[in-house]
Amino acid sequence: MISIRGLGTSVQGAKLLNAVDLELEAGRILGIIGPSGNGKTTLLLCLCGLLPFQEGSVRVGGRTLTAADSGTRSEALWEFRKKTGIVFQHLHLFPHLTVLGNIIEAPVQVCRMPIAEAVRMAMGLLAKLGIEQHRDKYPEELSGGEQQRVAILRALAMNPEVLLLDEPTSALDPIRSGDVRRLLQEFAASGHTVVIVSHSVRFLKGIADRLAFMGKSEMVEMNTTAELLDNPRDERTREFLSYSELN
Amino acid sequence: MNKGHGFVKFTTQIQHVDSVNRNPLPATKKLFLTLALLVSGSLAAAAAPLLRWGADPSGCAPYVFSDPANPQSYTGFDHEFAEALAHEMGMSAKFVPTDWESIVASLQRKEFDVIIDGFEPTEDRGREVLFSKPYYLFRLQLTVRKGEQRIHSIEDCKKLGIPVGTLVNCASSRMLDEGGYKSVGYQDPVGAYQDLETGRIDAVVMDVAAEMYYARHNPKLKAAGEPFNTGAYVVGIRKEDAELKKSVDAAIDRLADNGTTERIFRKWELWNDEQLSLRTKEPAKYEVAKSTFNWSEGLVKLSKAALVTVLIAFGAMLIAVVLGIPLALGQSNGNKALRALCTAYIEFFRGTPVLVQLLFLYFGLPVVGITLPGWLTAVVGLGLNYAAYESQVYRTAFEAVPDRQWQVAYSLGMRPLQAFRRIIFPQAFRIALPPMTNDFVSLFKDSSTAFAIAVWELATAYRELANATQSYLGIGLVVCVYYLAMSLPLAHYAHKLEKRLQRRSSGILSSGSDT
Repeated sequence: MISIRGLGTSVQGAKLLNAVDLELEAGRILGIIGPSGNGKTTLLLCLCGLLPFQEGSVRVGGRTLTAADSGTRSEALWEFRKKTGIVFQHLHLFPHLTVLGNIIEAPVQVCRMPIAEAVRMAMGLLAKLGIEQHRDKYPEELSGGEQQRVAILRALAMNPEVLLLDEPTSALDPIRSGDVRRLLQEFAASGHTVVIVSHSVRFLKGIADRLAFMGKSEMVEMNTTAELLDNPRDERTREFLSYSELN
Repeated sequence: MNKGHGFVKFTTQIQHVDSVNRNPLPATKKLFLTLALLVSGSLAAAAAPLLRWGADPSGCAPYVFSDPANPQSYTGFDHEFAEALAHEMGMSAKFVPTDWESIVASLQRKEFDVIIDGFEPTEDRGREVLFSKPYYLFRLQLTVRKGEQRIHSIEDCKKLGIPVGTLVNCASSRMLDEGGYKSVGYQDPVGAYQDLETGRIDAVVMDVAAEMYYARHNPKLKAAGEPFNTGAYVVGIRKEDAELKKSVDAAIDRLADNGTTERIFRKWELWNDEQLSLRTKEPAKYEVAKSTFNWSEGLVKLSKAALVTVLIAFGAMLIAVVLGIPLALGQSNGNKALRALCTAYIEFFRGTPVLVQLLFLYFGLPVVGITLPGWLTAVVGLGLNYAAYESQVYRTAFEAVPDRQWQVAYSLGMRPLQAFRRIIFPQAFRIALPPMTNDFVSLFKDSSTAFAIAVWELATAYRELANATQSYLGIGLVVCVYYLAMSLPLAHYAHKLEKRLQRRSSGILSSGSDT
């Protein structure tokens, strides 16, 4: 589960997030929509402890990151980061490691998992997505869709409480395709949480059970997907949805 | 006695002027000179034909050296002798500073007309140049540290296998080579005696003139045994200038006869009765050092030198590669003070010549009690120097790895050091490899600067062997083959490694940044 209270952050004097509150119980897949530059990616970076914030706190799976801890190299921060996994828009696979290497790197290095066990775990994940034959390939030898699957598996291999996906629409097909969707739904159903940031409402409609709309630097409203789309309460949400009809 | 000398000098000068006047210049030359005077309006001295004489003034007291009282001008017994000689020949002396090791080659390139620089007749030089009559007879002196108990003569050095320091490319170095002594060649006496003082070597053999000036009054050093092995200083003249040799010989005789030579060498406290034999009509007796170069021996020497070069290059690269990492990290990630410190280090080593740095380490550090042998100084010096360059290679490489790679590593729970070691470094290494290879190859070439601190590496070997044999071309080609044999395989393997890694690293630069 995720609990964000009064989250606020500024970078070089510009307020990127202002008093953001968000409560999400475990097992949900949340889609965050909103125009570009409204702080959606910033929110994700704060959520996984990569971007320091000055106000409020973030709580994920029983661990709380305070504003004070977010900016330091504290033990609390390292532990917090293990609770979340993130898949960036451009994936950023480790180019010097194979598919298998990308997936087992963190479990072996961070969690001290024995290599044989890590390989077994990774092969299980790869098999779920039907790409186990690519285990020894390097990222650049893969298609965009295959790379995205590997990036998701790399994050899942650390068994985080929360999986964050930033603008996955650039390699949209695998998310839409059955196996990845099933993987994410299975992950959520087992008591975890997924947060997907996208400007594409059409895409989120198909996978998210909760939708949140972000206005300029703030959380405007959050509801079930159907309710937010059919019955937006805020004027800004209505306006955005009317423009993004075709997305 | 002094007064008497002054008088003699005065009269000889009068006579000399007379003799010039009695041999009037040809009319055309006179006209030319008059014109030249009118046109240039320069000093009267410019009218006399020039006798350009070459000598190495760097660290070569008391032969020719910068006058400590007046650093703009030169002094020394050879300087005074050259002036007197030119004067005696009705010419005007013009000093051309040159490099001792290649002094014969410079004479042949006509950079000057004669060599006057404590120049000894040796067998190999005899093939290249004409020798005048000797104007001074010298002996060699062995010097050791004050507390030395083992060494009482040059023979002791041979028995004990102790290397003897001496000047490169001179009679004593030839003598040591021929006699099968171990030797260390120096560019100038200062370096040799300094190394003796600091214990880098245990014995130095040098002409008495140099020994007197540099070692005799040093309380830390003492003479071992008596002076030995009489040699001669002569004037070196190009083979084709037989006429010049004749007039130089005649002038040397006149200077000896009229006491000018004695006056000069007395002034420098180098006069002894042995010199009187030069005034007899019979040729003076002195030893001509032989040169013993043969190709198989030369190749062994070159191979040893090449090995030293390899050692220096690899050792220095190791230091540079390792030290470059903290420098790069300090400069890009450190706090203000650390950043300034790293930047200062980098700018210092990149902004000053590596040769100066080596000299500083070699001669400067012993002052504060740190005495490293020459090869180690070269390894450390070049290593420190190249670390500055490697740090910049790393910095560029690290900056080429996207920040998001750090963030991904952090998001997976990695600590900074872990992320650096496992994720960032391997990627940066692939980017840094090509420029590092370039640096390594240039380090091989820069190792030649070690010649300045008496390290017998390949370039030093080339200079010494080529000077000893005057075979610049033949030995030069062999040396080039040695260098290529070292650098080509290196470049080849580096290229192969690059290619193998390239496939995996091309993804780094093509992946974009997130919005």
